This record gives sequence, structure tokens and C-alpha cells, in this order.
Amino acid sequence: MPGRHRKPSPLKVPDRPYLALGLEGSANKLGAGIIRHDKDGSTSVLSNVRHTYITPPGEGFLPRDTAQHHKEWALTVVQEAITKAGVSMHDLDCICYTKGPGMGAPLQSVALVARTLSLLFDKPLVGVNHCVGHIEMGREVTGAQNPVVLYVSGGNTQVIAYSRQCYRIFGETLDIAVGNCLDRFARVINLSNDPSPGYNIEQEAKKGKRLVPLPYTTKGMDISLSGILTSVEGYISDKRYHDGVHDETKKDDIITPADLCFSLQETVFAMLVEITERAMAHIGSKEVLIVGGVGCNERLQEMMGIMAQERGGQVFATDERFCIDNGIMIAQAGLLSYRMGHKTPMSESTCTQRFRTDEVHVAWRL
Amino acid sequence: MQAERRSVRIPFATQKHAMIAKQVIEVDSELQRHGVKRTLTVEGDDLLVTFTTLTIRLARLTINGFLENIDLVIRTISEFGDEAERQSHS
Repeated sequence: MPGRHRKPSPLKVPDRPYLALGLEGSANKLGAGIIRHDKDGSTSVLSNVRHTYITPPGEGFLPRDTAQHHKEWALTVVQEAITKAGVSMHDLDCICYTKGPGMGAPLQSVALVARTLSLLFDKPLVGVNHCVGHIEMGREVTGAQNPVVLYVSGGNTQVIAYSRQCYRIFGETLDIAVGNCLDRFARVINLSNDPSPGYNIEQEAKKGKRLVPLPYTTKGMDISLSGILTSVEGYISDKRYHDGVHDETKKDDIITPADLCFSLQETVFAMLVEITERAMAHIGSKEVLIVGGVGCNERLQEMMGIMAQERGGQVFATDERFCIDNGIMIAQAGLLSYRMGHKTPMSESTCTQRFRTDEVHVAWRL
Repeated sequence: MQAERRSVRIPFATQKHAMIAKQVIEVDSELQRHGVKRTLTVEGDDLLVTFTTLTIRLARLTINGFLENIDLVIRTISEFGDEAERQSHS
């Protein structure tokens, strides 16, 4: 464009390979990953190891037990990440860990390991924002240039767009995250939490035949989900609700768990598509990047794809290795930050349950 | 006013390891900052932690939490300590 300043990216191509270890444990997934930034400017995932704390059906994961799980598995996961990557701790440039947001005790458990490794091997620590980790890994894996980001997981639901070194939150949930809504409903209908409640809801929804009326609650750029959860749970007391085997040939007026899963997904996903489209219209973007655990859902990807196509755009999504919480995304965001000169001093290497995405200074982008 | 004071002494292989444990633990302030006072010192190869709390129940909870955390730190040092001592190879 004539007259437009072409400023070079603040992130210089590295003069040597850089290696980072990333540790993640803000929810029930414990991950460790090692990433390398090469001299030609490319990025390689050397290892991405994860262990998930899975609770029995009908139960969610509580902070105390989740922290205990992370303490139990942290060293195994880290060792496996190191071994698979074929590097030594001594080769690392920095040790990245999730500073927040997330659950307090689980976050702290991982931070303890990060700090200990930092002191043992004399490596700098880099505290990373979990949401920024998702975004940076999504960008890296998909190559999306400047998308509107829909970050949807069990703990977060945000529509984000980048501008002037900040990931700005355009819209978000006013109460609970969409993954939380889905997971809690899965508990009520006693779906298995293995491999994840969201995955099982998705499979169950495919068998659904009936769309039951549910509230549709978009509020401008934001959404509200807690009322929808109450409403869909209410159908379980409906006299038409029928769990268990029934004769499919009989045209009975019944509502099955599959119908409820289907209705819930269709409703909340439509709302997400709407607020994402609003943001796209606002900033004139043609790309959507879906990150976070709920981003694995193929129905959400499909619905988003229809909207994007109608606008002449496209949807970018990653597979379960990267959209579900993992350590490599922390390594990626951490290493980008580190290469711009950011380090977290030991005394500041705390964790925080609340850490807004827009609090991060995105120094590595224009 | 009664105050409960309890101490835990944890021996390490070296003073360096005890110092590492101290630096790792002292980053986080106690969850109940007003109800719990904590001091962490290294004496020789030992880490000495002293908790002063209003009630014995709070002392129990605090020490339980501390022991879970220090156990993780100790296991991490145990798992990676040897590797750390070895010279880095390019």
C-alpha cells in the first residue's frame, strides 16, 4: 500500500537455535513440552507430553485432588519430555511455566517444579499467560496471519483480536465458560470423563434427533451461559425425558440425553459463532482461529466454517495435541517472550488465578 | 493469647540443595497471611521452617500443606540433582 510504513517485526530471526521447556497445569491436564526456534526462523516441536487427571463419571475435578495429581506426575512428564526431545536440561535457554489464570493449587504445584529446575540448572524462569499460550500455539501451528481468535475451554471463553502489542478481549462469557457448561451437563447425565466430558458430549450429540427450546443469550459482544445450563438440566425433570433404551421405531414424544446434548451444543455454538462474527465485522478480519479444549469440537468447527465461508473467510483450528491444554504452548509463548528480553525473577514467580489476556505486553509482534 | 509454634527440620544432601528448597518455598506467601507466620532458614545442610499460628488446627493444616510442597521439591532435586551436577554438553 503506498505511503504505508513497513516496520520490521520486533522479533529478530535468531542467531542460533533457542530451546525452551514449558510446564502447564492450570486445570486437570499436566503437560510438559520442549520447543526449538531455529536459525531460519522456523519452529519445531521436539516433545509434547501430557497426563490428564480424569475423575469418575458424575464428578468434576477439585483443586486439592488435581494438585495432588500434578505433584504425582510432574517429574515423570518432565523426564519424558526431555527424553523424547533428545536434549538435556543444560541445553535449555529458559524454563517456562503457567503463571495463570487457572486453579490455585494445581498452578502452584507446577510452579514449584519450575522454580526448582530453574535453580538446579541455573536457567531463567518465564511466567506465561495460559490464554496467550493457546493463541501463540494456534498461530504457529496454523499459520493464521491476523485472525479473530475464539478461545473456548473449560475455564475460559473469550473472543480476542490483536492490536498494537495487546490481545484485546472483544467479547467474553459473563458467567461460566462454554466448556464448563458442557462439562457440568455431562456430569448431570453421568457421561464418562474419559478422555474428556466434552468429547463424550460431542459423540452423544451426534445421536440426537430433537432440538429442544433453550434460551439464546448473546448480550452484545458477550454471552451468558449459566441460565442455559440451568435450563438444559431442567429438562431432566421433564416428564418426556427418557434415559435408557427405547424403541426408536415408536414415535413417542420423548427427550433423550442425546437430544439434550445436541440441543445444548447447537445453541451455545451458534452463540459463539455470532459473537465471533461480530468481532470479525468490527475489525474487518477474514480469519477465525479457534483455540482451547472446546476448539477440538468438530461441530463447532463446522458451524464456524459455514459462517466464515459466507463472509469469504476461513477457519483455522488445531488438533487435540495443541487445542487441549499442553506444555508446548507455554514453551512457545514463553520463548517468544524470552527472546524479547522478558524474564520472571524468582521472587515474582508466583501464580495467580486471575490473569487477563490483555494484561500481557505482546512485545514479539508489531 | 495462646500461640502455637511448631518447627520442622529437613536434612538435605548439601547446603546448596537446602538453599534451593528455601528459595523455592519462600516465593509463595502463606494463604492465611494473618493467621500464619512462617520463617525459613538454612542451618548447615538443613532447612528449618517454623510456623506460628493461633490454633493447633491451623498449624496442622499449614504443616500438611508445607510437607506436600517440600516433598515435591525434594523429589525434583532427587530426580534431577545428578544431571544438574554434570557439566553441560553442547
